[in-house]
Amino acid sequence: MNSRAATVAGYLIGFALLFAIWHLASVFIVRSVLFPSPFPVFERGWVLIADGLLQESVWASMRRIIQGFLLGSAIGIPIGLAIGSFRPVRLLLEPWTEFFRFIPAVAMITVAVIWFGIGEESKIFLIAYTTVFVVVIATAAGVGAVGKDKIRAAQCLGANKFQVFALVALPATVPYILTGMRLAMANAFVTIVAAELVASNDGLGKMLWDARLFMQVEDIFVALISLGLLGFATDRVFRLLIRAFAGRFNPTM
Amino acid sequence: MGFVELDGVGMTFRGRTGAYEAVRDFNLELAEGEFFCLLGTSGCGKTTVMNMLAGFDRPTSGEIRLEGRPVRGPGADRGVVFQGHDSLYDWLTARDNIAFGLRLRSMGRGERRAIADRFLNMVGLTGQGAKHPSELSGGMKQRIQIARALANDPRMLLMDEPFGALDAMTRAVLQGELSRIWSENRKTVLFITHDIEEACALATRVGVMKRGPGGTLKAVVPIDLPFPRERTSDAFMACFRQVHALIHEEIHPHE
Ligand SMILES: Nc1ncnc2c1ncn2[C@@H]1O[C@H](COP(=O)(O)OP(=O)(O)O)[C@@H](O)[C@H]1O
Ligand SMILES: [Mg+2]
Repeated sequence: MNSRAATVAGYLIGFALLFAIWHLASVFIVRSVLFPSPFPVFERGWVLIADGLLQESVWASMRRIIQGFLLGSAIGIPIGLAIGSFRPVRLLLEPWTEFFRFIPAVAMITVAVIWFGIGEESKIFLIAYTTVFVVVIATAAGVGAVGKDKIRAAQCLGANKFQVFALVALPATVPYILTGMRLAMANAFVTIVAAELVASNDGLGKMLWDARLFMQVEDIFVALISLGLLGFATDRVFRLLIRAFAGRFNPTM
Repeated sequence: MGFVELDGVGMTFRGRTGAYEAVRDFNLELAEGEFFCLLGTSGCGKTTVMNMLAGFDRPTSGEIRLEGRPVRGPGADRGVVFQGHDSLYDWLTARDNIAFGLRLRSMGRGERRAIADRFLNMVGLTGQGAKHPSELSGGMKQRIQIARALANDPRMLLMDEPFGALDAMTRAVLQGELSRIWSENRKTVLFITHDIEEACALATRVGVMKRGPGGTLKAVVPIDLPFPRERTSDAFMACFRQVHALIHEEIHPHE
């Protein structure tokens, strides 16, 4: 068996095992309407897909995640590069990043809603907020980790400051940037659900909230499974990207 | 006027633990086209001397000149081969690593490729140009470093224990190839090593350093043997013994 087939088989068996344990637990251990077996949940999921409701919620959440994530990365990467490259910039901005990264995006929900309302803007702001600091820190660390000899080699091949940055520091930092973005993506999932729970008209968080109000336990589980699968799929895409850009010279990524 | 002149060069590092005078009053003239080996025990200041000549560090006293002009910083006239292979660019192929300096001068793609391939051949890596550094062995990576420095056509080559991390067999092969390449192009080389046999096999002159603090040149031994060197010959053995005696005093100073 080749390694790709082995990976896929491993995932399938792993998921099957998870659902099997869930089923057994619901039948023999918990036995409560509050903890349904996977079968009614799948049935309910199928109904929600047939009605188009699940896709709507998934798309609402994913759209916000992608927009906020791209915005946050677009802001975070240049700032991280500047912090990593120039000491004065680092001294100036490090207090900011060190300060804000300890204020979780979830804690910013209230101000976000006050500033931007409960529409798209507040969600995109929160996702961008949670993305920026992780990306800044990873990028700056990447710049700092560029080997001294790599830079010196370029200098004695005739590189000027700009060439050292564009042709050595930047490409050497790409794996760090992508790893930072991957971590930020995980944060974005946490943030979007919290934001939609508190203030939203659609999305998976709203679906969770409504299901609680109306005691639709199956709906809650459908939303939870959707989040897990979405996160899983997104992370896979990221790992593929990292491998495509960086993996050929760094197999550990 | 020598091709390279180190004139009363000294380097004192200042750090948290106080000042350390690594190199003191280092004087040396290199003629164009010679292969000079700087030999010394670990920590005697060899890398410090090379870093100053490469322009990475400024001497705290004295002056270094290349063709009469004071060295002020790193430049394309001094190609450097580093001890480890961290200096290679992992995201570039072997060929693009070799052509890196040419790309900096915005040479066209076709010309770059032709030159890179010529130097790939020169270091015995014909047909390996599309591989990335992670796909190459330690010895092959050092070959790429040498090709990268030479492809840029510097006035001289600085090499800091380039074969130090290689196994004995690979090291001997690379020493032979470097010697052959040098015999063909006669570039001025400053080659740093702590291996007496390596120095005697490659050099036209061997400079032996006194250990630090205040590391400096204590003797220069000309090696007037034809290339390629015959390592088992009596003449080679005699050179080895002469250099060994000088180094031995540094390792066991109180005997
Ligand atoms: N940046 C530095 N700061 C302080 N001391 C240094 C520094 N670089 C080298 N030294 C010291 O200078 C001495 C010579 O170092 P080096 O030139 O690297 O020796 P070698 O290359 O001959 O092994 C050593 O004792 C080393 O600890
Ligand atoms: Mg050294």
